Amino acid sequence: MILEGIQAVLQPMTILLIAIGTAVGIIFGSIPGLTATMAIVMFLPVTYSMAASQGISMLVALYIGGISGGLISAILLNIPGTPSSVATCFDGKPMADKGQAGKALGTGVVFSFFGTIIGIAILVVLTPVLCDFALKFQAYEYCALAIFSLSMVIALTGHDMPKGLISAVIGALLATVGLAPIDSKPRFTFGMFQLNNGFALLVLLIGLFAISEVMKYAEDVRKEIKYTVNEDAKIKGAGFSLKEGIAQIPNGIVSALIGVAIGILPGIGGGVSCMISYTVSKNTSKHPELYGTGIMDGVVASEAANNGTIGGAMIPLLALGIPGDAVTAMLLGGLQVHNVAPGPLIYVKNGAVVYAIFCAMVVSAIFMMIFMLLGMRAFVSVLKVPKNYLLPVVIVLCGIGAIGNANMVFDTYCMVAFGLMSYLLIKSKVPTVPMILGFILGPTFEENLRRVSQLASSDKFFNHPIFMVLIAATVLVVIFSVRSNMKEAKKLELAAEDAEKSV
Amino acid sequence: MKKHSNYRVDIIPGIVIALFAVAYLALVPSIQSFTGMGSTPLTNHFVPYLWGGALLVLGLYVAVRGFRKRAAFIKAGGKIEKFDLKAAVNEKLEVIASFVALTIYVALMNVVGFVPMTIIYLVAQILILTPKHDWKKTYVPALIVAVVCSVLFYYIFRYHLNVLLPQGILSAFGF
Repeated sequence: MILEGIQAVLQPMTILLIAIGTAVGIIFGSIPGLTATMAIVMFLPVTYSMAASQGISMLVALYIGGISGGLISAILLNIPGTPSSVATCFDGKPMADKGQAGKALGTGVVFSFFGTIIGIAILVVLTPVLCDFALKFQAYEYCALAIFSLSMVIALTGHDMPKGLISAVIGALLATVGLAPIDSKPRFTFGMFQLNNGFALLVLLIGLFAISEVMKYAEDVRKEIKYTVNEDAKIKGAGFSLKEGIAQIPNGIVSALIGVAIGILPGIGGGVSCMISYTVSKNTSKHPELYGTGIMDGVVASEAANNGTIGGAMIPLLALGIPGDAVTAMLLGGLQVHNVAPGPLIYVKNGAVVYAIFCAMVVSAIFMMIFMLLGMRAFVSVLKVPKNYLLPVVIVLCGIGAIGNANMVFDTYCMVAFGLMSYLLIKSKVPTVPMILGFILGPTFEENLRRVSQLASSDKFFNHPIFMVLIAATVLVVIFSVRSNMKEAKKLELAAEDAEKSV
Repeated sequence: MKKHSNYRVDIIPGIVIALFAVAYLALVPSIQSFTGMGSTPLTNHFVPYLWGGALLVLGLYVAVRGFRKRAAFIKAGGKIEKFDLKAAVNEKLEVIASFVALTIYVALMNVVGFVPMTIIYLVAQILILTPKHDWKKTYVPALIVAVVCSVLFYYIFRYHLNVLLPQGILSAFGF
């Protein structure tokens, strides 16, 4: 299986697709407002007719390129290309201002590669372990796992817990449309056969993340925001000396590990991991006062962490079918399109594809480093592509993706409806990421809850220690997050009162 | 003094969400449930009731929170201004136009066909996303981008990637 997977990736066509995926991903990552999620949405229809290992390799390459490309605009524009590169601005931009743009870019690229490789290594080791463990899961455990994952998402997305909960519940509620689990009776289909299978995850994701992004851009048309690109993007070698690179290795390892750990938790993603690792790096540094003035350490902390998150987020995706963030949710959609069912049996049913994914990730990481070190000027010139032309084309490709999902134009209607819903929710300060988790975990929860209701008389819950541990963990997470949420809400209220008094 | 506190992002969404939850809950009894052999003690009504109930409670909570914030705002001397619909529409004109263009695009795609609708949509959307004073120099490039992209996408996806894009009126010409 391992050889089969590696062989599938090392075909010239697959390597070419990975190279294209990585380059396009970098472009999408580097342009503020375009994300890795959108790159995957755009290229999904292209992969429909490919073999599973080819198609998924390309999607994975888009993911790695998309996360890595964010550092370009973070350093040269002081605007993170993706949320994952927020912390890269803190030291990347000051370095560029000091005339060290090449060094900052080189550091970011090399340690993005470093973080990706550490993430992949942990992914390769941990996924089979988690799969083996998850084989013990039955209805009780899956039910508890769904509740636990939802509680984690709610706890970790934003300070407004009720709105995080609303988002997750709307997601779960949308998932009730279609044939009910177990008895297959139609629910909320209003007699439309197109709704018998429920809403497609991909269509929901396109609406939530692609359409709303265009609308956000539309809001600012009259503001005519102009970016000033720092053109000094030439990288000599890796951009830094060997001695400087070696000195950063411990910082890189710690940051990558933070990234991996955060990636494993559902609903957080690279945006938080880069901030946390930046803070940890600063607090443990011998010279914390230099952070923010333009030093390598800050760029290393941010970039190693956000790329480490890639490997981390893939672990629950492959082993449990639970995505860590929006991009991995999109990848889950991609896996479903190619008939690959993530979960504990993935090694048994699609072992070759899993190894192909690992191999494709390594190849893509190598391409990413080569492309970004040697072709930085080309990527910088892409930053000047006018978005008023680019975004409508992206929307058309999203529409094609929605149609191609089940060859139904009906899905484009749903896409627009979800786009409108997403825009209104964003305006109401309701986060949209919990909705995806609610949508994915809702059916798992329902199916297993109903099975548990059947089993409860003969198989008591205290015979299931994993179930009890997960429920206890959920209770702790909820108590902890309610407390911290109340504290934060009080702080915000006081701050708002002070601000109003001072006016 | 601020025109209004952040109560509006609680009151309106809270009420809308609560109303949506009520409508959803009202539909649950019409779901056919299975009671034959092998049925589960919890029917297919249970989870929809659970989610609908949770959404109703959360919507009401957020709305009440918003009203409390509003009351506190007034108590602190804040001045409540009337919601100006005209100004709000004008402020979001490009967003509304984008949604209208997108809705017309997908609604007519099946009848008119992918290529003609995509050309019209792309030109319209590019212009919507371009500041008005740049429209004159945008017409031609927008039209070129629209024609090239729509024809290219149609050709690649329909004939090489097996995505059944609607032919519409093109079917009369044998495409």
